[in-house]
Amino acid sequence: MNMLTYRSAAIDIKPGEDVLSALLRAEIDAPHSCRAGVCQTCLHRAVEGTPPAAAQEGLTEAQKAQGYFLACVCVPKTPLTVIPTDEAAARSEVIVRAIDRLSGDVARLYLEHGPDFSYRPGQFLELITPEGLGRHYSIASVPEEDPHVELHIRLHRGGRMSGFVSEQLSPGDRLHVAGPLGTCFYEGVDPGQPLTLVGAGTGLAPLMGILRDALRRGHHGPIRLYHGARERAGLYLHDPLEALAAKRENFTYVPRALSEPGFDGGDVAAAVLEQEQALKETAFFLCGGERLVSRLKRDLFMKGASLKQIRSDVFLPAN
Amino acid sequence: MPTLYERLGGAPAVDAAVDIFYRRVLADGRIARFFDNVNMEEQIAKQKAFLTMAFGGPNKYTGKDMREAHKKLVAKGLNDMHVDAVVENLSSTLRQLGVGEKDVLEVAALANSVRADVLNR
Repeated sequence: MNMLTYRSAAIDIKPGEDVLSALLRAEIDAPHSCRAGVCQTCLHRAVEGTPPAAAQEGLTEAQKAQGYFLACVCVPKTPLTVIPTDEAAARSEVIVRAIDRLSGDVARLYLEHGPDFSYRPGQFLELITPEGLGRHYSIASVPEEDPHVELHIRLHRGGRMSGFVSEQLSPGDRLHVAGPLGTCFYEGVDPGQPLTLVGAGTGLAPLMGILRDALRRGHHGPIRLYHGARERAGLYLHDPLEALAAKRENFTYVPRALSEPGFDGGDVAAAVLEQEQALKETAFFLCGGERLVSRLKRDLFMKGASLKQIRSDVFLPAN
Repeated sequence: MPTLYERLGGAPAVDAAVDIFYRRVLADGRIARFFDNVNMEEQIAKQKAFLTMAFGGPNKYTGKDMREAHKKLVAKGLNDMHVDAVVENLSSTLRQLGVGEKDVLEVAALANSVRADVLNR
């Protein structure tokens, strides 16, 4: 039996040989450095088969769940099909089931997907128009509870995807998506540990998925969700989140509108740094623009948070 | 007789040290600027590789990657003073973790052994 497949090509691997050596011997230009399972330069992903635990040491639980492994210390015991980590995601067809508005400039999209599309709440996908325009959006729904994939789409004035979604798209239309992608989801979190979710703008979408996933999986530690927006209208799930906070003792909702003076006003990052206490014990999820995420990640780390416990997704502007 | 790496506590010790070490480096005004705009997760993985080597742990150190990784920084002015600062931060990290002075010196010596590669000399 063939023990190693790279993309779709069978690769010769000797008994006891590691995946990296076999790939290099097959003249595949696989990135690598330490060759001792430490530096993670040779990270690959198994799409079929399970890598031995020793090849996943030091990776995050989310990476393990996605089949990531270190090729330099991976001696396959069972057949593996592996791909590089930058491999393009698989495409599938979806049907638009509903579109509505969450606020003046945020649209909500519900997509029906086939049985082959499986995801974890908080991952993202690439939405592709019939003209081939692609943009990344995070998933706010929970597959075990929701029939459709839910996306929150920030509508930019003059944006091409924004124009397509707000003017052309209607229920029943067929689109393509690629993915899911990303490792920003509820995995490797202790159900009793403090869980802090921080997002700005439509960074709330993945956090809603992660929040519901955490509750569904019985997270009983304190959960705090901080949502920042420029104006109060941008706190587009204010009422349902307030209602959830009133109902659940372990859930706190902290909204912050930048332009608003007084209560609920101000900078969301400042609120996080001011209010968070048990930094070392807390699992963080940060989603939003580069400035918020990078700055907050560094500040939280410097104040004592463990970098391993800070998961994040940066929303990059379309180029 | 246990090796240096075994005495320090192996891979879990590297895990325990890396956050503290990286935090010290980022807070050190002499060298922090070399770490602006880096991906923190990738950087932590690289720091772990470095610490594993400096702890006398399993590695296949060749120097080639160390040279490549620091080439641009040398062009930006990376010099002996900055390497000294890194070794100093490493030593104080170990002391904070309660490592004995003899082992601290041994780690510092291993860290210093890559100086020429880091500075592309």
